[in-house]
Amino acid sequence: MNTIEQQLWDYIDGNLDDSSKKAIEEKIESNAEIKSQYEELLKLNLVFDELDLDEPSMSFNRNVMESIALSPAPVAMKTKVDKKIIYCIGGFFVISLLALLGYIFYNAKPEMPRFDLKVNFDLEKYITPKAIYAFLFADLVIGLIFLDQFLRKKVAQK
Amino acid sequence: MEQKPTDLELIQKVLNGETDQYSLLVKRHQRFVFTLALRFSKNREDAEEIAQDCFVKAYKALGTFKQTAKFSTWLYTITYTTAMTFLRKNRLDTTSIHDEGTALQLENQTSGFNANGYEKQDSHTFLNIAITQLLPDDAAIITLFYKGEQSLEEIGEALHMEPNTIKVKLHRARQRLKEKLQYLLKDEVKELL
Repeated sequence: MNTIEQQLWDYIDGNLDDSSKKAIEEKIESNAEIKSQYEELLKLNLVFDELDLDEPSMSFNRNVMESIALSPAPVAMKTKVDKKIIYCIGGFFVISLLALLGYIFYNAKPEMPRFDLKVNFDLEKYITPKAIYAFLFADLVIGLIFLDQFLRKKVAQK
Repeated sequence: MEQKPTDLELIQKVLNGETDQYSLLVKRHQRFVFTLALRFSKNREDAEEIAQDCFVKAYKALGTFKQTAKFSTWLYTITYTTAMTFLRKNRLDTTSIHDEGTALQLENQTSGFNANGYEKQDSHTFLNIAITQLLPDDAAIITLFYKGEQSLEEIGEALHMEPNTIKVKLHRARQRLKEKLQYLLKDEVKELL
């Protein structure tokens, strides 16, 4: 929505950049109809500014203070979560893991076992042009899905 | 002259154990929170209950308040959430501003206030009547913008909406408020504007 009225409101609210501000100022100066519309909105803005705030009952403040009297006093999150405790727990786990690793390496024999996998598996039989095309097609579909999601997010952010 | 403590200073005092200082925070914001609650509930008793609940929730969660934002914005977010929960619980009829059907119904609703019945009523009395006839979202956005000294970004944060959406809604709300005023004031609107 970018009607002249919306632009005038943006101008009154101070939401325009320098170039848009100049453009609308020129329109106000050159066009009598826009000028009268601007003046009307300006007056309306002053009227809206006169809105009253309602007053709650006299006992409102007392009622709130009575309601919170039984609640525990609030404490800042910083004091609730003491960093020293977190560092101690983290340190304990790091030291335990290092000790365990040290023990394993100390007791391990530096010999690598021989792997002899007796598998008769003909890979070439499965890699056919059809399989490759199917694989690439699936990749393309996944790629398009991700692209669609990415573009949707971009549009939503705007 | 003694300077008034800021919201953040008062919060710090409450967090340091001076819980009675919360009363000053309540006093400072109660009118606005109550008005905002009233915009949603359209009923003083319910609005008072919502506002009270809101201050109690804010007190309990004061420790989690990130002091980089304005306390008022945070408080209005709580007010909006509390009001919505309250309305859902009580199954009151609240509708989105997109619901044109309801908007039309409200347009055609005969107002309890007849402009002819009032002689020489000042503009702001009619304005306060007109705003009560708006849909809750419209009334809340207008109130937050004009009386809450909140930017579009802050209103968006409080009402869980994008600033651009708020801008469009504010524009529509102003148009609707103008229409309501025109309906209430009839010919007198020309003198007003």
